[in-house]
Amino acid sequence: MQDRTTHPEEQPAGPPPGNDPDKPQAFSRRNLLATLGVTAAGGALAMVNYRDDAQAATMSRTASAIADAKAAKHAWCMVIDLRVCDGCKLCTLSCQQRHQLPKEQTWIKVYPMEHEGQTFPMPVPCMMCEDPPCMYVCPVGSTFRTDEGLVLVDQDTCIGSRACMAACPYEARYFNWKEPPPVKKMPLPPTPQMPVPQQKGTVGKCVYCADRLPNGELPACVSGCPMGVIYIGDLVTDVAVNGLGETVVLSEFLHKNDAVRYKEELGTNPRCYYIAGHGQSLGAGS
Amino acid sequence: MTTNAMTTNPMATNVREAALRPFGKPSRLWWLAIVVLGAMVVGGIAAWVIQLRDGMGVAGYSDQAFWAIYIADVITFIGVSYGGAVVSAILRLTGATWRAPLVRLAEGTAVITVLIGTALILPHLGRPERVWELLAHPNLSAPVFWDLVAVSTYTAASILFFTLPLVPDMAILSAEHEAQLGRRRTTLYAFVSRGWTGAPRQRTVLAGALGLVSVMIIPLAVSVHSVLSWAFALVSGPWWHESIWAPYFVVAALYSGVALVILVVAGFRRGYHLEGLITERHFVRLGFLLATLSATYLYLTFADILPGAYVGEPSVAAVFTELLTGHLAVYFWVFIVAAGVLPLLLVAMPWTRNAWGMVIASALVAPAMWVKRMLMVVDPSTYNNISGTFSSYHFTWVSITITFAAVAAVPLLLMLLFRVVPLLSIDEIEEMEETSTGHSPSEPSQSAGRAESAVGMAGTSHRAAGTLGVLMIVALLGLFGVGTADPAQAATGAPTITIQGVEVGGKVQLTATLTGANGQPQADSAVEFSFSTTEFGTPARLVPLGSINTDKTGVAKLTLGGDADHMYLPTTVGPQEFVATFTPTTADAKPISASATVNITVARSAYTPAPDKPLAGVGKGLVVALFAIVAAVWFTMATQVWRVRRATRGVRKPTTSSA
Repeated sequence: MQDRTTHPEEQPAGPPPGNDPDKPQAFSRRNLLATLGVTAAGGALAMVNYRDDAQAATMSRTASAIADAKAAKHAWCMVIDLRVCDGCKLCTLSCQQRHQLPKEQTWIKVYPMEHEGQTFPMPVPCMMCEDPPCMYVCPVGSTFRTDEGLVLVDQDTCIGSRACMAACPYEARYFNWKEPPPVKKMPLPPTPQMPVPQQKGTVGKCVYCADRLPNGELPACVSGCPMGVIYIGDLVTDVAVNGLGETVVLSEFLHKNDAVRYKEELGTNPRCYYIAGHGQSLGAGS
Repeated sequence: MTTNAMTTNPMATNVREAALRPFGKPSRLWWLAIVVLGAMVVGGIAAWVIQLRDGMGVAGYSDQAFWAIYIADVITFIGVSYGGAVVSAILRLTGATWRAPLVRLAEGTAVITVLIGTALILPHLGRPERVWELLAHPNLSAPVFWDLVAVSTYTAASILFFTLPLVPDMAILSAEHEAQLGRRRTTLYAFVSRGWTGAPRQRTVLAGALGLVSVMIIPLAVSVHSVLSWAFALVSGPWWHESIWAPYFVVAALYSGVALVILVVAGFRRGYHLEGLITERHFVRLGFLLATLSATYLYLTFADILPGAYVGEPSVAAVFTELLTGHLAVYFWVFIVAAGVLPLLLVAMPWTRNAWGMVIASALVAPAMWVKRMLMVVDPSTYNNISGTFSSYHFTWVSITITFAAVAAVPLLLMLLFRVVPLLSIDEIEEMEETSTGHSPSEPSQSAGRAESAVGMAGTSHRAAGTLGVLMIVALLGLFGVGTADPAQAATGAPTITIQGVEVGGKVQLTATLTGANGQPQADSAVEFSFSTTEFGTPARLVPLGSINTDKTGVAKLTLGGDADHMYLPTTVGPQEFVATFTPTTADAKPISASATVNITVARSAYTPAPDKPLAGVGKGLVVALFAIVAAVWFTMATQVWRVRRATRGVRKPTTSSA
């Protein structure tokens, strides 16, 4: 799954996982069985991990779970600089293009927000909460949280109860109410990191382009934003970058710009920060 | 209705005769009802198949109305099954002997409706074929999982509560009325009642078991609707996130449950001419129960809405405005009149306090309570938590057909059920007759409407769902303006810059030396420090650390984490590249930079996990406790079956050999 970081329209860079490219293997029953066994075991383990993660976060965060979180190499987050957002919605379109979504599925949605008579645009992706309400209420543990803090959906096990949609305070979840439109041929089958094509009767949501991040590539909305509004950041290594290539020290950037988290009072500990300013001029000369 | 004529025999005979009436040759009306109701159920299944094929969108759902009719149906149908719990369990525990002719009907209704309510979860799910995942990979923190546990336990208890009293009844019938039973019923009855002789010890065991189950079934019933309400109350949505919802749901279920019992009793009383056993007084007594619950529910409705409306938190205020004066107001006030004012009036006024009045009240309450559940689901579901706007849910023929199929299934399954088992608990009624002199049955009253027509949903406007075309998105070229220019090299004759970095005592100190074009140290010039990262791909990106002005010797020094303007501290051990850049102010001059690699030995993750929530640890203990309780309940139920069976095993009654 980690190999799956390329653009969907491109061919995969490497061979499919499970094959050793250096050693051409003779086809034999033994190899086949071994491969199948490894694949099955790997799949099962992956599922167990998901559940364990959900369980660990659900039941109680033990000391070891916190240690694991500290040991994680990345803690992905987003910073959305509202001062420069002009509401062009190219983030939404880039995301929909990359994930081949129908137009009613806006995994990152630009809301026109009212404030003191002014309207300002506010892009809202998944907040990747550290205490995700959606994960707690999923009856089958299909929503899980990776050790890098990404809240993802396993559409192969989702039963479509939509409890997560009720629980999410950020309207970040979208249901496939009908058969999703046909997609271009994909190099690999869908994964929670790159859930394309979507499955009818299951829930989809923003994934921060989790397949791209390990490769150092930017999420579609980040690279698609011509204004440099959206930053993808890493709370561990303390850096963030936007689509214009502007790189910042994350903690300093958040601190100096008085970044806030949306609906902080709900205790979801979102990993998406907003820098207020509404895109209007804040004062003379600024 | 039946081939048997009405009898005026003494009570004991009358009960058996009446209980056997449904086993006679069915009337044409019976067949007509079965065909019509069966067609409705088949239509509902067909609609569900279409929904499975085309997706849940055909039921009027959208992302702005993601929970709607089916979850309201689930709550409604599981709710009405509470009637059985009330009439049977509570009245049994309080020793209300008048319940006797009603208990079998009430318990049968409880079993049928809880099964239908559980089945309605399937159309609610997007992927019903994966429902086994609830057992295979349950998430123990999810309210929906505990719904499953509570509903299945309650269903088992309801079936047990229905089945245990059948043992003496079936023994009586198979022993003394074999001729009227027919071959299949005789075989079944002989199997269920094998070994039952009515010996005192057997009666003691059975009474003990029934007493225990009726004690258990009350908290189980409370648990079911509490957990159902927590599917809503455990999320942060406005109006859903209410502490009152669990008791509110329980009272709603009791209320609608009593209403359905009245309708079912009225239907079977009319259909099988049971006026001699089920009298006006039964309806009036049930009516008083209905009125009590009606008043309680009205009170809870007020108590539910007042605090949120008074404080006026934006989202809660918006949802209540929509409910009380907005688009949903007409439904809400219809509910208040139909399920609040009118039932109370019908019970209060002497001239409507009769079977007809109670049936009318119940026929108002049952659909009105469904409307109330729809409001409780749809109002917050259609509210957008970010924009504060409402969308709407539109009924479609699919969702309406499935809902009506569920409604039709109640009388259909009840009529079929009481073709198999006696619809009166003969043993219990006869026992009551023995212990008391028995109240003389009042005159046969005007009969009530049939249950199936009375429960029919009313007042739901049917709007076709908007046609949703499949729209392919226009592929727009993303703007991939990412890319950092390589640092420019110093031109000849231009200023030069050097950088040194050391880690001293765990702190990284960077020293840049700037030399002007004239070869002299260049003072008062801003040197930009940065470090490079490959986190977001190659080529490496430069992350600015801040700028420092050079001193007289042309030196700019930066200590990482030294002050509030330079907060960055290395996050990983190992070599890290730092860059100093100077951009000359003269035109056409290119920035010059130099880099140095520092071997970092002291690093810290910039990330601090959020602190544990105060009560985060409680969940695990709660789960263990709940599982222990559930296990104890199942064990107790199994024990009661085993006790009754053991009590009947020892005795063999030679006369009850079936042919």
